[in-house]
Amino acid sequence: MSRDEAAPRVETSLVYAHGVAALTTLFVSVAFGILASIQLLSPETGAGTPWLSWGRIRYAHTQGIMLGWLGNAFFAFLYHAVPILTGRNVTSATLGRWLFALWNFAVLLPGWILVLAGVSQPLEWAEFPIGVDAFVIAGLALAAIQFLPPFFSRVLESLYVSSWYIIGSLVFTLLAYPMGNVVPEVVPGAQGAAFSGLWIHDAVGLFVTPLAVAILYFVIPAASGRPIYSHFLSMLGFWLLFLVYPLNGTHHYVYSVIPMEAQLTAIAASAILGVTVILVVFNLLMSLRGSGIFPRDAGLKFVVMSTIMYLVVSIQGSLQAQMAINQAVHFSDWVIGHSHLAMLGFATFAAAGGLVHAWQRIPWARYNARAITWSYWLLLSGVVMMVASLTAAGIVEARLWQSDAPWLDSVRAARPFWLFRSLAAIPITGGFVALLAGLMTGPRGSGLRDVGAVAGADPVRDMRPVLNRAGEPA
Amino acid sequence: MTTRAGRAVRMAYVVAVVAGLVFFVMSVALLGVWPGRVLDRQVRAMSPEPALGLTVSEERGRTIYGREGCAYCHTQQIRFVHADMRRFGAPTLAWETRFDFPHLWGTRRIGPDLARAGSVRTDDWHFTHLFAPRSVVTDSVMPSYKWLFDGTPDRPLQSARDLVAYLQSLGRARELAGPEGDARARERCDCAGDSMMQMAFASSLNTSAARTRNSGAAVPALPVSINERRGEQLYAANCASCHGPRGAGDGPGAASLTPAPSDLSSHEYATTRVVDALWNGVAGTAMQAWREYSPDDLAEIARVVQRFHVGQDAAIPDSLLATGERVYIANCVQCHGRDGRGDGSAAGELTIAPTNFRTQRPSMNSSLRAMREGVRGTRMASWTGRLSESEIVAVAAYVRSLYESNGGR
Repeated sequence: MSRDEAAPRVETSLVYAHGVAALTTLFVSVAFGILASIQLLSPETGAGTPWLSWGRIRYAHTQGIMLGWLGNAFFAFLYHAVPILTGRNVTSATLGRWLFALWNFAVLLPGWILVLAGVSQPLEWAEFPIGVDAFVIAGLALAAIQFLPPFFSRVLESLYVSSWYIIGSLVFTLLAYPMGNVVPEVVPGAQGAAFSGLWIHDAVGLFVTPLAVAILYFVIPAASGRPIYSHFLSMLGFWLLFLVYPLNGTHHYVYSVIPMEAQLTAIAASAILGVTVILVVFNLLMSLRGSGIFPRDAGLKFVVMSTIMYLVVSIQGSLQAQMAINQAVHFSDWVIGHSHLAMLGFATFAAAGGLVHAWQRIPWARYNARAITWSYWLLLSGVVMMVASLTAAGIVEARLWQSDAPWLDSVRAARPFWLFRSLAAIPITGGFVALLAGLMTGPRGSGLRDVGAVAGADPVRDMRPVLNRAGEPA
Repeated sequence: MTTRAGRAVRMAYVVAVVAGLVFFVMSVALLGVWPGRVLDRQVRAMSPEPALGLTVSEERGRTIYGREGCAYCHTQQIRFVHADMRRFGAPTLAWETRFDFPHLWGTRRIGPDLARAGSVRTDDWHFTHLFAPRSVVTDSVMPSYKWLFDGTPDRPLQSARDLVAYLQSLGRARELAGPEGDARARERCDCAGDSMMQMAFASSLNTSAARTRNSGAAVPALPVSINERRGEQLYAANCASCHGPRGAGDGPGAASLTPAPSDLSSHEYATTRVVDALWNGVAGTAMQAWREYSPDDLAEIARVVQRFHVGQDAAIPDSLLATGERVYIANCVQCHGRDGRGDGSAAGELTIAPTNFRTQRPSMNSSLRAMREGVRGTRMASWTGRLSESEIVAVAAYVRSLYESNGGR
């Protein structure tokens, strides 16, 4: 017990390093995304330069967002949260430096270079080539070694729900990543697509979502100073999500030749998932009673909006998996809108909330509250613009595809919406620049002045009772 | 009360084992391994044996298709959905994908599905399209793949040849299996009660809407064109890239296409001829079938095409026609037919159908040019040296006399 009494050490330098890497890879990934969107309006942009062609930067964009921005931001959050959740240090700071180097210099950098050079695999959320995949798996294994042991010495009932999500996600992703990246290379066609479908959903549902939800569950009590509404609901939500999320994958191939029983299983699981997320979000929103939709605490503000977008994107996902809707909107920009609401809305707001929350508590880090507020509003307006225009474009495309109109009419009809989507890049980029400014400018250590209800001399120590109140027997 | 749920299992690694491992294994078994076994059985039952894979060149093309992200705008999966089948043909069956390592199904369609794109267009159209997409498809948003060429679209590098070879292979296995293959697959698939699988056989084989048919295949009755503005818009958006803004066959895509796009301004066309070309395409040329269009729209386009021709040629003396007829019967009927309907005894052997002079009248200049120089990319050879100049003039005039503006009906 004596180790529990001592304040665990948060590796602030690793929080900082992963935060900087997250923002750096974010700007690179966003640049790819903006260029890809401009090329749909002006296809001659970069024409004739292989590494600037749409297909290759499309690969670099999504891999960078998932592994670079979200991956690094999640690691930054884990370095902050795991010691607080467990009362123990992460395995090793040296290991952390290896993980940081591996993830950024053996995964992202070579991954991007190879994809742009034309060495890749045409599998969604798995575009980095097999050689890079080996380093991703090594990185995920190092992350498991780094973050899981502090949890394993605890009995479950003293573990707060964020811990459950972190454990589940790190183990699941370590197994699912090779399944999605390697199996379709050796299992052909339709059979391989069945595995691909699983991974497309696992990447978002079992890597991004649980870690984002872990942030929501962590930041809400930590920043509001009140325990979670219901520990029981949080447990129920956890088990349902981990049971149901992995069964969603085949909904990416509705009306395909994959056996209808598998499709229907995935469609039913998608519907149940929507109900489950309502349960989880109910628990999160009830925990926020009194904080308002736009709380003063910066991290909490991002997290609240992430929670709301999580609800919207999940219900949308449940609906678009249903056959009648899927038949129409599948293959259209509707789905691109959906994925941006998930990754740029829900996940990015959670990651930014977690990063800001952790950053404020690095005693020597700079912090600029005004810039963070700008970042929040710019990003919110950008996401709304982008998702609204893509969703509308998807409906128009779906209508034209059902009609007698020639194919190219759907391309022509999408262009005004694509223009609006590209314009959304202005507030989105502005928001990310403001986020960067918020974390890189301002007086050192001033983040603590901006925290909400539980600000104090030692925020780490202060937060533990808040969390434990929820996690320990009354 | 709040912790009773957690007490049953005590240690944290239970979460890791159940949520991380057990649920993963369950999902993979249920939605990966089990459907895979069902599909394996289906492939074994339905695939023609021995199955036709890709050539080495096509396989290299497939790699290029993958690395350039083609699958992120073009799906290769026709769903069991009528809207898909109407546009792209029969739904994709598992056995058709048995050599796809990895699959290229895709989840977004900015451009059309390509699962049955093979032999819809000619190789030189594909080269032109890859080199400068908007030179043949106005308003396309496809990137240019100039680096697969040595400077011009008619100088493709090996990589472009490989890629086009791959594109031309799409849908081939099913097409070669033929109606017999489909009948056999239907018999062996054990899916008599599976209404969705039955859809895979119900649609006519490989019916890509854009696939060319033999000239003369049934065309719909077209209404009388009433909206010229609409016709001009459609022409500008879909035809001008090859045929040129005024129909002179000089659009930006024309230079690298063989045979060259028709010079519409130097021909008179019967409505049936234009509709046939639009509805069935022109087999062997870059002209695809435009079956996505409504009959109304096709009628508007036909009207625009017919209006490109202007001017009257001088009357032809009867003596010249008599000479022309004699020379024509001696030299031209094997392909163009006794009556000039393009139905000579050798016509069926030709990839590109010989001109039917009953429904299409070239201008005198155009007719003379074809006689003197031949038509590049077709079996129409130059007759200079084989016929005297006066005979050439006579035949050129004679074939123009065969035209019937009502299409010979």
